[in-house]
Amino acid sequence: MTTRRVKGIGELPRDIPPARDLWPKIAEAIQADLSMKAVPDTRRRTGWWPAVGLAASVALVAVGVFIGKNFKPDEAQTLAGTQTLAPAADGGDSGMVKASLREAAYQKQRDQLWKEVQVKLNSMPPAEREKVGKSLATLKKSIQEIHDALGHDPANALLQELLVTTSQEEMRVLTTVRDSGRQEL
Amino acid sequence: MRESRMNSLWALCALAALPLACAANEGSVDRKVAADAKGDVLISNVSGSVDVRGWDRNEIQVTGQVDEDVERVDVESSGGRTVIKVILPKGRSNGGDAMLEVQVPRGSSVEVSAVSADVSSKGVLGTQRLKTVSGEITAEISGEDSEVRSVSGDITVHGSGKPINLRVSSVSGGLDLTNGAGKLDVVTVSGDARVHMGDSSEINARTTSGELELHTRLSKDARVSIESVSGDLTLDLGDSAGLALEIESFSGDINGCLAEGKVEQVSKYGPGTRLNSRTGDGSARVRAKTLSGDIEICDR
Repeated sequence: MTTRRVKGIGELPRDIPPARDLWPKIAEAIQADLSMKAVPDTRRRTGWWPAVGLAASVALVAVGVFIGKNFKPDEAQTLAGTQTLAPAADGGDSGMVKASLREAAYQKQRDQLWKEVQVKLNSMPPAEREKVGKSLATLKKSIQEIHDALGHDPANALLQELLVTTSQEEMRVLTTVRDSGRQEL
Repeated sequence: MRESRMNSLWALCALAALPLACAANEGSVDRKVAADAKGDVLISNVSGSVDVRGWDRNEIQVTGQVDEDVERVDVESSGGRTVIKVILPKGRSNGGDAMLEVQVPRGSSVEVSAVSADVSSKGVLGTQRLKTVSGEITAEISGEDSEVRSVSGDITVHGSGKPINLRVSSVSGGLDLTNGAGKLDVVTVSGDARVHMGDSSEINARTTSGELELHTRLSKDARVSIESVSGDLTLDLGDSAGLALEIESFSGDINGCLAEGKVEQVSKYGPGTRLNSRTGDGSARVRAKTLSGDIEICDR
């Protein structure tokens, strides 16, 4: 590869051709879109919903990243007794993959914590078990409600914020309940 | 069996090198140790009650009743730190009621940990950290950087009106805070919270499904952040300095009595309401958000 020093902006080429011609594919996509407009509304709607779902999942992965960022790795290890994920082998250039992995690690820790909390609940006196169990169920239901709402409105900043804080709150509460008694004494 | 255990206990008490670990007589405790005026006092008790009182003497007195399932009550004091611990027989983690009254120098920092024991405190001026699982907590708090925490027990806190940094949290227990001031963090899952604060500089409150009622006067440059999923919020911010309000709900209603501002739809096509308003210099910022909980807000 040779390099040449330029002394002025005028020496730069006026246009640079792309490495490969992308236009045929773009034209094909436009054509496909135009023919889509000719089909009845119901078919178009079924084609649209997966996109909404995909957008929702992307938003949720993003939310997962936030949760993962705010959830200290050492805390996570203590919580679930599992190893946190090692950095991606590819040097970390695949943000989506890393986010998905982080989301999966979070889910694993969450599931483990729920199991441990269930054991703790079983050891509690019945009245206390019922009271605390109801609160935890409320928390779980609330997170599901936010997920559901996000499914319909994936870009909603309020819902994203609520999902992050409520998910963090869930982990905090689960840890508190799991460690209650042992932690206090 | 019982007699031989008591004899062994008295034998232990005779050894001065060991911590004080003796009941004055069967079923009761009465110990007194010298203490720093601003020392640390750590108390732990599984079941029964712990009643902490501040007094004007540089000594700590532990009195009370213990039931037969309690092995002993340890009282150790050294280097400005006194540890009072109710010991259950090995392998036991519940039962064994101990009803303790602990008198401490007023300036002490007190930490109480309990499982089902009720905890109360009065007249203590230092930092307090009071924690229970299912016991109730009733406390007068005036020490900087204090914390009150329970899982299912109700919490009642009375502040001194002096600005402090206070954290209160519960999972399913209710919270009732009066005469607070300064900085406050409140967290509940399903428990209702009623908060009456004087001048506040910072409030962070969060509930999942519990109702949250906040009455306060915000000082200049105060910051308030309140969040709920399905719990209703009632915010009474009368007599506050200039306010900048950012109130938003996904599907709950926003109502109230405000000098300025109007509730508007977030989107023409979907759910969501919000209210942004500013009064005076708008230096005190209030953010409140819910998913489905209603928000009622008043600034007069």
